[in-house]
Amino acid sequence: MKTATRQQPGTTIVDVTGDIDMGTSPHLRKILLDSLKSASRLAVNMGEVRYIDSSGIASLVEVLMKARDSKKRLVLFGLNKTVQEVLQLTRLTTVFEIRKTEKEALQG
Amino acid sequence: MSCDEGRKPERLPVAAANGPLRFQMKLASDPRLLAVVRGTVAQFAETLGFEASQSRQITLAVDEALSNLIRHAYRNECNHEIELNCEAQEDCLEFTFVDRGEPADPARICSQPLDEVATGGRGTHLIRQIMDEVRYERLSDQNRLRLKKYRPGAGKQT
Repeated sequence: MKTATRQQPGTTIVDVTGDIDMGTSPHLRKILLDSLKSASRLAVNMGEVRYIDSSGIASLVEVLMKARDSKKRLVLFGLNKTVQEVLQLTRLTTVFEIRKTEKEALQG
Repeated sequence: MSCDEGRKPERLPVAAANGPLRFQMKLASDPRLLAVVRGTVAQFAETLGFEASQSRQITLAVDEALSNLIRHAYRNECNHEIELNCEAQEDCLEFTFVDRGEPADPARICSQPLDEVATGGRGTHLIRQIMDEVRYERLSDQNRLRLKKYRPGAGKQT
């Protein structure tokens, strides 16, 4: 798994590529929590995520809770079928703020 | 069925003349090997006629079981052995995991109600949601976990 961070006005975007599993999710968790510290809105590009397991989902939930606690926003976008299926199985599709595209993630 | 070179079978017969189609993996309890197992299991399920979505879910369940085993039975130590047997029976796929780690906590194996903001417990929930049968046994110094997924139309799916 690889991540890259970039800035847009008002939003920090983290592009995630590859597999998120118990071996890689601690790195993702750290990157997202660090990015959240200096952002009012954090958008995670999941378009190139090939796989995510429950440890990756747990990392996203933890970041979401941190964002809520500090009155910030976490947005996920570009979810492919694989990621959508896991969110459905864990009944989290309505818990996260999910957008189809980066453009939509940057709006509102 | 012949195994001509260059001919990729789309679906293998499940029950060959000499018994069920099966293979065994022995791997270290190292998370870096999870991707290797995922690739193999996904291909196995698709070859045996499971649709792509079902194959992804079966792969997820196997991956979650291995991750739980590494995390809890072997406490994240990477140098222990795990045995994974994969078998295609007439009506189902069966995966058997054997390890010599700490006994599993029955309360953890019995899936807890899903709390949307909990940071743990989803792996077991996923396994139970995806697979049709989940059986855990403690045998002297071994843990044995069996996961079974019935083939589409086998009439035993949940």
